[in-house]
Amino acid sequence: MSLFKRKDSLPIPPLDAEKYTTVCQYCSAGCGYNVFVWPEKRSGTAKSNAFQVDLSQQSQLLSGFSYTETMHNVITRKNGNRYNLAIIPAKESRINKGNYSIRGGTNALTAYTPTGQTKDRLKDPLLRKENGFVAISWDDAVEIIATVTKSSIDKYGADSIAMKFYDHGSSGLGFEDNWGAGKLFLSGIQTHYLSIHNRPAYNSEVWGSRERGMHELNYDVDDARLADTIVLWGANAYEGATVFFTEHMMPNLQGGSVEEKQKEFDAGEPAEEGRIIIIDPRKNATITVSQEINAERVLHLRPNLGTDWILANALARIAWENKWYDNDYLQKRTDMVTFEAYKSKSLQLAKSLDAVLAEAEKITGISRKEMEEAAGWIAKPKTGGFKRRTLTLYEKGIIWNMKNYDQVAAIAQLNVLTSNVGRPGTGCGRLGGHQEGYVRPGAPTPGSIYAGGPPKNVDNYITGGGGKIYWVGATDPYLSTPNSKFFKKSVKKRATNLLDYLDNGGIPSDPKAYIAKVLEAFEKTDGLFMIVQDIYRTHTSEDAMLILPAAGWGEAVDTSINCHSRLLRIYDKFLDAPGEALPDWKILALVGNKLKALYEAEGNKVMAERFGGMEWKTDAEVFEAGSHEFGDNKAAEIDEAKLSAECFKGVTHEMLRKLGNEGIQTPVRQDPASGKLIGTKRRYKYSFASKDGLFKWYGTDAWTGYPAEVAKYVDNPTYPFWFTTGRSQHVWQTMYNDKRIPEKLLTLPLPYLEIHPDDAARLNLKTGEMAEVFNEEGSCLALVYVNDATKPGLVFGLMYHAKGTMNNLTSSYTDPKTTIPWYKGTKVAVKKYTGKLDDAIKTVSLLSNNDFTTG
Amino acid sequence: MSDISRRKFLQTTSASALLFFSGLNNTQAAAAPKAYPSKKIGNIKNLKPNEPLAFNYPDEQSPCLLVKVDNETIGGVGPQKNVVSFSTLCTHMGCPLTYSKGRLVCKCHYSMFDVSRNGQTFQGLASQWVAQIVLRMDAATGNIYAEGVEGLIYGRIGNLKLS
Repeated sequence: MSLFKRKDSLPIPPLDAEKYTTVCQYCSAGCGYNVFVWPEKRSGTAKSNAFQVDLSQQSQLLSGFSYTETMHNVITRKNGNRYNLAIIPAKESRINKGNYSIRGGTNALTAYTPTGQTKDRLKDPLLRKENGFVAISWDDAVEIIATVTKSSIDKYGADSIAMKFYDHGSSGLGFEDNWGAGKLFLSGIQTHYLSIHNRPAYNSEVWGSRERGMHELNYDVDDARLADTIVLWGANAYEGATVFFTEHMMPNLQGGSVEEKQKEFDAGEPAEEGRIIIIDPRKNATITVSQEINAERVLHLRPNLGTDWILANALARIAWENKWYDNDYLQKRTDMVTFEAYKSKSLQLAKSLDAVLAEAEKITGISRKEMEEAAGWIAKPKTGGFKRRTLTLYEKGIIWNMKNYDQVAAIAQLNVLTSNVGRPGTGCGRLGGHQEGYVRPGAPTPGSIYAGGPPKNVDNYITGGGGKIYWVGATDPYLSTPNSKFFKKSVKKRATNLLDYLDNGGIPSDPKAYIAKVLEAFEKTDGLFMIVQDIYRTHTSEDAMLILPAAGWGEAVDTSINCHSRLLRIYDKFLDAPGEALPDWKILALVGNKLKALYEAEGNKVMAERFGGMEWKTDAEVFEAGSHEFGDNKAAEIDEAKLSAECFKGVTHEMLRKLGNEGIQTPVRQDPASGKLIGTKRRYKYSFASKDGLFKWYGTDAWTGYPAEVAKYVDNPTYPFWFTTGRSQHVWQTMYNDKRIPEKLLTLPLPYLEIHPDDAARLNLKTGEMAEVFNEEGSCLALVYVNDATKPGLVFGLMYHAKGTMNNLTSSYTDPKTTIPWYKGTKVAVKKYTGKLDDAIKTVSLLSNNDFTTG
Repeated sequence: MSDISRRKFLQTTSASALLFFSGLNNTQAAAAPKAYPSKKIGNIKNLKPNEPLAFNYPDEQSPCLLVKVDNETIGGVGPQKNVVSFSTLCTHMGCPLTYSKGRLVCKCHYSMFDVSRNGQTFQGLASQWVAQIVLRMDAATGNIYAEGVEGLIYGRIGNLKLS
């Protein structure tokens, strides 16, 4: 009867089971987990076990101890023996307190097993030959990459090497891997054609905030429980940062944190259950869950796509008009010179309030009444004149919006105008997607067009025939890059041109002959030598010349910070990587060291030196080496803003192992008085991160309509629907793990589309049927859900899925100020599919995922 | 969930669900049988559509429900294969599940399970699908029997008595 094999009992770890602490490999919440490993044949007892829990008692609800079918696996170590593996949520972690999400709850199922669902992990370096890929040794792989890279640098310059790598933590990555990638590509190769996993360039997605002097991770999880008002702006927290929402925001809405507020707030300050404003074109589950809890304290604004910064400025103007700001704060903490530009361009003080709001209503589709209510919830002082405490968190709906820079800047400025940064219950920044772990040498492009940018668009460079080598690490751009069909088509053509040249007369088996022929092909064709480094084969890897097997989460010691407290913790090694797979930093070091040796051999000391400093032996050494990038962190508490947000200088793996789930919050400073390392709970209480410590204002652009790439559709009746994308609670990123887990694949077997009942009726579409979504950029066949999540005229698609990507449909537009794409908006047509429906639809749930009502 | 919100949750939870919690204080070892019993839990003639019947299985510490839904189900019995049964402990953190509109809903963190589709978590936090009760219907009498459990009941190391 079950669609897959179920369990009705679980093994018990004996008292002496190996125990490790780690952090979930997935979202920005970074829930703490405890890991237990013990020989398969051994067992603890109900009363005596490594969990230190009396298992003869059935767990009570919300007791904080959960051990479910999905939290156990059986692994085989390199010694050939089988072991039980249990990965369970840590009750002692203040991030999750034993809570966990549908993603983290399956951490154990992602462990490599030689006969199970992860058996197809990459185990050897693979070289593409005539009929597919063949395994080669690391020595040969490193020789090929290093020699081809060196020859390419020498002949065509460093910019002939392009890369697209992660820059983050979690997902089996961390500060160690980022430092490895930074040393090879930024210090060593020194190409300008760098790009970050999900986007076409090497940039921050929040320069609009950082260039104001405000790093985007400036708050603590506690602030979500202390806030009078939480604003989620283009941030689907229930589905994206699930435990942060359910463990810290939900109790606030329920009134469960009033006592905490009374302790933290000023004497006499009102403390009551929280409010939430959710700004999202879609009625997603975060909104409907919040409404289930306390509908009167939920405000949902649904702006037209691309118009959010106009809305943010309108809210700020309402706050200004009502004098819901603290003039003393503005004078002391912000730059009153740049404030003039903000007043004139963003607040538009030369125009009347009525004129500004009438225009904002027209552009955003939000009524003046809604704007006034939202502005009041954000900024209106409480009874007794106490400042309201508002925590504003934005994510992909803002950063991947049209005009990335202005969107982020407008929201940051609204919060600073209303003093909503640096106090308990306030903050303004990213909700985050993944965790973070960035430490690299300085990037070639330090900022937006206002600070030395914009960075180069590597997608355009590659699709336009630029570069010879393209190294892709832990990302799958065939699914995830914007305008992905065009990207895939272009890369495939160039990869095929290279392969055809190599194949003419046979692909040499001898590495030296192979290298010589690749270099010949570089001269004679536009061929692209693509290297893909990952834990599984990816969609992109089908056109790689070399695939490199990387170690995953739990297979190396990593460190990262979460987004909601900048909590630095250790992600210990408890698994053996499959086959020959190596940690990312080690792969990058092998190539760096080889390049150094090649340059030394020809007496080129200058180039050899560029590749120096990668002689690490252990994860701990890489972590320590990276820490020096942060410079001197001797600073008193009032100088915390001068420190880099992720600064961990002085912290070691050993120290983190002792701290376990407690961790330490970055930036870590060396206290001048005590000499001790001290973490930072909340940022910008005393000053901002600019040279003079003042917040720098910016006058945003006026509305000038849509960019050409989307404007072409606006009045085109062939493409009647506005289109936006997002994620599902169930799966992580491209489903690289989840497509191997039956629970996930059965529940999310296909890309899906949400459409409003009015539109569905017109197209004769029903839930459970399929439709083709298409425009001039591409198409995707999707399972249809008819529900009220979208407005009439707007459809929503799952951003990408192992079986199809909606990024085929997105345009190539990027914000000219930052080179950040607008993933979240274009126009499409929808056509009912009349072929045989996919068999997976017989077992998938077709119920609506934003309706939580009962009775 | 913090202690305070837990209290708030309990204040707002229906009394019938609370009855089930109070029963869970007993030790599992004492209560659980060694093998899945065959237990008569209802008769198809007495089942009204979408009006679930509560019972405990495989022992008194494990609340379950039996429900006749509007459509064919995976693992369902009856002429329309539309009678199904599930544990009503949320597999996420053990809160009580409420049946409504073809699904089981948890009001602690809003996980939802589709009773027609094998108890899959189609929304929410529960990484484990809810445990489904194996049913047998006697065609002659219409009696419905619980005869096994597929999947782990929340909070237990095993559904049955540990050997």
